[in-house]
Amino acid sequence: MATAHVDKPVRDLAWLREQSQPLSLAAFGLGVLSLAAVILGTAVVLLMHGLTPYENVVRGFKSAEMTGVGVWAVGLGVAASALGWGTFRRMPTKVSREEAVAGAVLGAQAAVLGAVVLWFSEGDVDVFAFNFFNFEGPNQQLDAFLTGAKNTLVLALSSELLGILLGLVLAIFAISKRAVVRAPARVYINFFRGTPLLWQLSFIGIGIPLGLGVDISTYTAGIIALSLNMGAYSAEVFRAGIQSIERGQLEAARGLGMSYGQAMRYSIVPQAVRRVIPPLMNEFVILVKDTSLVVFVGLAAGERELLSVASQGFGNTFNATFFIYAALGYLAICLPAIRLVNAVERRMRSGLVGVTA
Amino acid sequence: MTAAERDGAGGHLVRLDGVHKWFGDLHVLKGIDLELDRGQVVTVIGPSGSGKSTLLRCVNLLEEPTEGKVYFDGREITDVRTDLNEVRTHIGIVFQAFNLFPHKTAIGNIMLSLQKVLKLGEEEARERAVAELEHVGLAHKADSYPAQLSGGQQQRVAIARALAMRPKLMLFDEVTSALDPELVKEVLDTMKRLADEGMTMLIVTHEMGFAREVGDRVIFMDDGKIQEDGPPAQVFSNPANPRCKDFLAHVL
Repeated sequence: MATAHVDKPVRDLAWLREQSQPLSLAAFGLGVLSLAAVILGTAVVLLMHGLTPYENVVRGFKSAEMTGVGVWAVGLGVAASALGWGTFRRMPTKVSREEAVAGAVLGAQAAVLGAVVLWFSEGDVDVFAFNFFNFEGPNQQLDAFLTGAKNTLVLALSSELLGILLGLVLAIFAISKRAVVRAPARVYINFFRGTPLLWQLSFIGIGIPLGLGVDISTYTAGIIALSLNMGAYSAEVFRAGIQSIERGQLEAARGLGMSYGQAMRYSIVPQAVRRVIPPLMNEFVILVKDTSLVVFVGLAAGERELLSVASQGFGNTFNATFFIYAALGYLAICLPAIRLVNAVERRMRSGLVGVTA
Repeated sequence: MTAAERDGAGGHLVRLDGVHKWFGDLHVLKGIDLELDRGQVVTVIGPSGSGKSTLLRCVNLLEEPTEGKVYFDGREITDVRTDLNEVRTHIGIVFQAFNLFPHKTAIGNIMLSLQKVLKLGEEEARERAVAELEHVGLAHKADSYPAQLSGGQQQRVAIARALAMRPKLMLFDEVTSALDPELVKEVLDTMKRLADEGMTMLIVTHEMGFAREVGDRVIFMDDGKIQEDGPPAQVFSNPANPRCKDFLAHVL
C-alpha cells in the first residue's frame, strides 16, 4: 500500500494565532506588560530625574512616579499571574497552555520586582543610592578602569598561555608508566591544587622577593603564580583528555613502528588537544576572575587590574559603586568567553571538529 | 648447524617459544609454541576468551609475554636490547576497531608513518600512499576523513596503511567483527588478494568459511593453548581434538 505524501506542518504566525485562546493571550500580554512596566518604568523615572549627582537618584526613588511604577507593576503582575494560573489547566492546545503559564510566571516576576521598587523607595534611599548609584566618582576613573581591564586581560591571557604549556608537559609526565617520571609531576600538581591561590600569590609575590632577595614586581609575581597554578589545573585537564583517547590509537601508532613519543606527538596529543579546548577555555574564565586576587599583594599604579582599581576608588571615597563598575568589567571579558566556549562545545558535539583538521 | 638454525628461529619468519601471558591473575596464554614460515597464511580460530588476540598481539609485542621468547626474522625480539620500533615497521597489524587516526584523511593516515617512521620525503610518501589506496580500491577516497568512510572502507584504509610500510608479515585481529554483514566481503576479498600475492599472514577470525578457504593452516585455540594445528581440510572435516570438534559443531 502506498503511503500518502504528508507535508511537514507549517508553524507560522497564523498557526500560532489559531492555536491561541483569548484568555491565554490576555494572561501572556498582561505578564509581558507588567514586566516591561517595572523595568522600563524604573529606568525612565530614574533618567527623568537624572543619574548624577546621586542626590538625583534619591529624588527619583522618592518620587510619586516611582511609587506609581511599583504599584502598577505589582497590580498588573498579580492580575497576570492570577489569570494565567487560573486558566492554564483548561487551555485546549499546547500553545495556549504555554502562553498562560508564561503570562503567570512573567506576572509573578513583575510583582516581585515591583514590590522591591516600593520597598526601596520607602527605605533609606540616601545611603543606598550613595553606595550603588553614585556614578560621579567611578566615571572620573574610567581611564583607570580601562587600564584595569587591560591588565586583567594581560594577566589572564599570559597566565593561560604559560599555564597550558606547563600543563601539557606535566600531563605527559603524569601519565608515564615510570613512577620516577610520574612522581615529581604528581607532587607538583597536588601541591598547587592543594594550596590556596592566595597563598601562592603571597608566597611568590612577597615571600620570594624577601627570602631570596630576588627583585620581581608584584605584577610579574602575579603572572608567575597564576601560571604555575594554571599549569597544575590544565595538567589535570590534559591528562583527562589524553586518557580519553581510545587505547587503540596508541596501539595503531606503535604498531606502525612509531616510538611512544611519536605516537603521543602525532596521534594522541593532537586529538586530546581538540577534546580539551572547552574545559581549557572554562579554566580561562575562572582565571580571569582569579586575577582579582592579585589585589592582596598590592600593585603599582599602572599595573592595577579591575578589582584593584575598584578597591582603590572605594578606599578613597567609600563609594561601593566602584565595585559595580569592576563587576561590569569582568562580565564584559567573561561573557564573550563563555559564549565562545558554548559555541565550541556545540560544534564539537555535532562532531565537526573531528572531521575538519 | 646452519646460520638459520643458530639464530634461534630455525629459519622460520616467526617463532614463539613457550609463551605465557598473565593479565593480573588471569592466565591467558599457557605455553604457546608456534612457527610461521614465509608465505604462509595461518588463520586462528577458537571461542572468545581463548587467547587468540593475545597470541596475535604477542607476535609484534603490543602485548609483552610474561614468559617465553618471540623470534622474528632471525632475531629474538623479546630481548630488551631489540629496537622494537624498527621491528614493528616489518610487521603490519590491522585491528577490529580499525583505529584510523580520526584527525587525518585516508591518505594522511598512510603518509604519517611513511614520513615520520620511514623518513620518506613527502612526494615519495604520497606516491606510495596513493598506490596502496589504489591497491585496496579506495584511491577516490584519499581526501576523506575516517568519519566520512563506511566501516568496510575504513578497514581497507587501515590495511593499506599497514601495507604501505612494506611489511614482511601482516597480523589481522578479528578485522571483520565490527563490520555490518554487507561490508564484510569487501574486506575479506582484499585479504584474499593479499594472500594470493604471497604475503605472510596471521589472521584471527570468526569467519569460518574464510578460514577454510584462504588459509594454508588453521590453528584452533582454547583455554590459552593451541589445541589443533593443521591444514584447513583436516581441521574442519576431521578434527582430532574433542574441544575443536565441539566448537566447530557449534559455529558451522
